[in-house]
Amino acid sequence: MIRLDHVSKTYEAGVQALDDISLHIAPGEFVFIMGDSGSGKSTLIKLLQKELNPTRGKIMINGKDISKLKQKQVPDFRRKVGVVFQDFRLLQDRNVYENVAFAMRVIEAPRREIKKRVPYVLSLVGLAAKYRSFPRQLSGGEQQRVAIARALVNRPKIILADEPTGNLDGGNAREIMKLLEEINERGTTVVVVTHNTEIVRAMNKRVIIIDRGNVASDQGGE
Amino acid sequence: MRISSLFYNLKQGLLNIWHNKMFSLASLATMTACIFLFGVFYSISVNFDAMVHNAEEGVAVTVYFDEDVTTSQMQEIGDMIAIRPEVSKYKFISADEAWETFKKEYFGDEHSEAADSFSGDNPLQYMANYEIYLEDVSQQKSLVDWLKSLDGVREVHQSEAVANTLTDFNSLIRFISGGIIIILIGVAVFLISNTVTVGISVRREEIAIMKLIGARDGFVRAPFIVEGIVIGLVGSVIPLALLFFLYKKIITYVAERFNALEGMFAFIPVTEVFRILVPVSLVLGVGIGYLGSKITLRRHLRV
Ligand SMILES: Nc1ncnc2c1ncn2[C@@H]1O[C@H](COP(=O)(O)OP(=O)(O)OP(=O)(O)O)[C@@H](O)[C@H]1O
Ligand SMILES: [Mg+2]
Repeated sequence: MIRLDHVSKTYEAGVQALDDISLHIAPGEFVFIMGDSGSGKSTLIKLLQKELNPTRGKIMINGKDISKLKQKQVPDFRRKVGVVFQDFRLLQDRNVYENVAFAMRVIEAPRREIKKRVPYVLSLVGLAAKYRSFPRQLSGGEQQRVAIARALVNRPKIILADEPTGNLDGGNAREIMKLLEEINERGTTVVVVTHNTEIVRAMNKRVIIIDRGNVASDQGGE
Repeated sequence: MRISSLFYNLKQGLLNIWHNKMFSLASLATMTACIFLFGVFYSISVNFDAMVHNAEEGVAVTVYFDEDVTTSQMQEIGDMIAIRPEVSKYKFISADEAWETFKKEYFGDEHSEAADSFSGDNPLQYMANYEIYLEDVSQQKSLVDWLKSLDGVREVHQSEAVANTLTDFNSLIRFISGGIIIILIGVAVFLISNTVTVGISVRREEIAIMKLIGARDGFVRAPFIVEGIVIGLVGSVIPLALLFFLYKKIITYVAERFNALEGMFAFIPVTEVFRILVPVSLVLGVGIGYLGSKITLRRHLRV
């Protein structure tokens, strides 16, 4: 599903965020990515969604080299990948419902499906009651759940979640992780960046640890 | 694009205009001025054309023949005149008809002695001629040159008409108005482009998210295209409405004020002017709006 072949990423400023990374994530896998702040986790997520391009190396997703995608094919590729951004990236001028519906609108989903799907996904993340609130009226954790709902709503094949529980307390964090696990059980490949060692230990999944742009360890899973 | 997507982008485009009132208004005002002037010049021009056309009806070129030209040769020349595209109609005046007209003009209706003294011979026996009326006076000179080159043609008379001056004046008006309108179109495109640029920078984050979620380029661009087109559309509907009322007022005013010149000012009815003006202005307005946002998107929205 996801294969990185000697991938490096150096930012324009000269910062080398990733250094010769190779790894493989199978379809339907659930993988945690851990590592210190600044180790390159978000950079990795951004490469996987083609928000950034690698400086060197090859990234294969679904058997396709994504650096070879034509301009026109990029939207279709991105529709298969749902991302929960570390900084949420919600639209401040739209309410919760609109933020989630937005993801369906921009891929031109039928209106009827939007009306059915958005309330369902909002209830999954436990925000059904707050669908009319604006992001600034929500707590950090609630905003995070909106971001998760938006990533889920288009039924992507892969979910990349960059610290989806960073602002949640223990109980809420476990619930979100359980939700991601359920989605994974229905066949979606899930990659989660997190600092929450407690949950990682409890869930017993594959864990990739990144240290200063290198894979420091890769353990667990079935 | 789906109907619901279309409505969504239409709404977003209108929101762009609304959130950016200052720039939108500036663009709108320029568009309005541009189309208004276009309408004014167009109205003047078509009315002028009608006047020129009236004047042209009276203009004639007269062709006289050599003395030895036979009737069948005259007929041949007539056939050649008939197929010239600039000729609207032509008339053969025989020597006898020419004499009759002359007699009437110079001796009055009642047969005078002076006229009778010519009885028997037609003193104008070589004055048979063609009177030629032109479709378009500007072609007069070339027609005359051509006629003069024909065998059997002795002389060609042409009337120096007001029509020629009118035509020159009309092309001057067109030239000047064309220049002004081109400048205004440039300004309108520039302002719409600026308006759209502001819209894009306000929505920069939203655009970035849309692209990451998988929106196609066309979808990302649509609201800005809507923005340009709506400004162009409204910017042509306002001046058209304005012109519609002003046109009626002005022709009534001119007709009352200068009723001495009535024969000259045969105004074209507003409905006839608008039959061309409305579609042309709408296409122009929408085209300018589309162009303004299109070039901006190309510059600022490299997807
Ligand atoms: N746009 C950028 N330009 C230059 N350097 C960058 C940019 N984004 C990230 N970096 C640098 O790249 C390195 C990796 O950053 P990255 O965001 O991937 O870290 P991270 O593992 O996600 O950290 P955190 O846990 O704090 O989110 C850091 O040193 C960071 O300063
Ligand atoms: Mg990060």
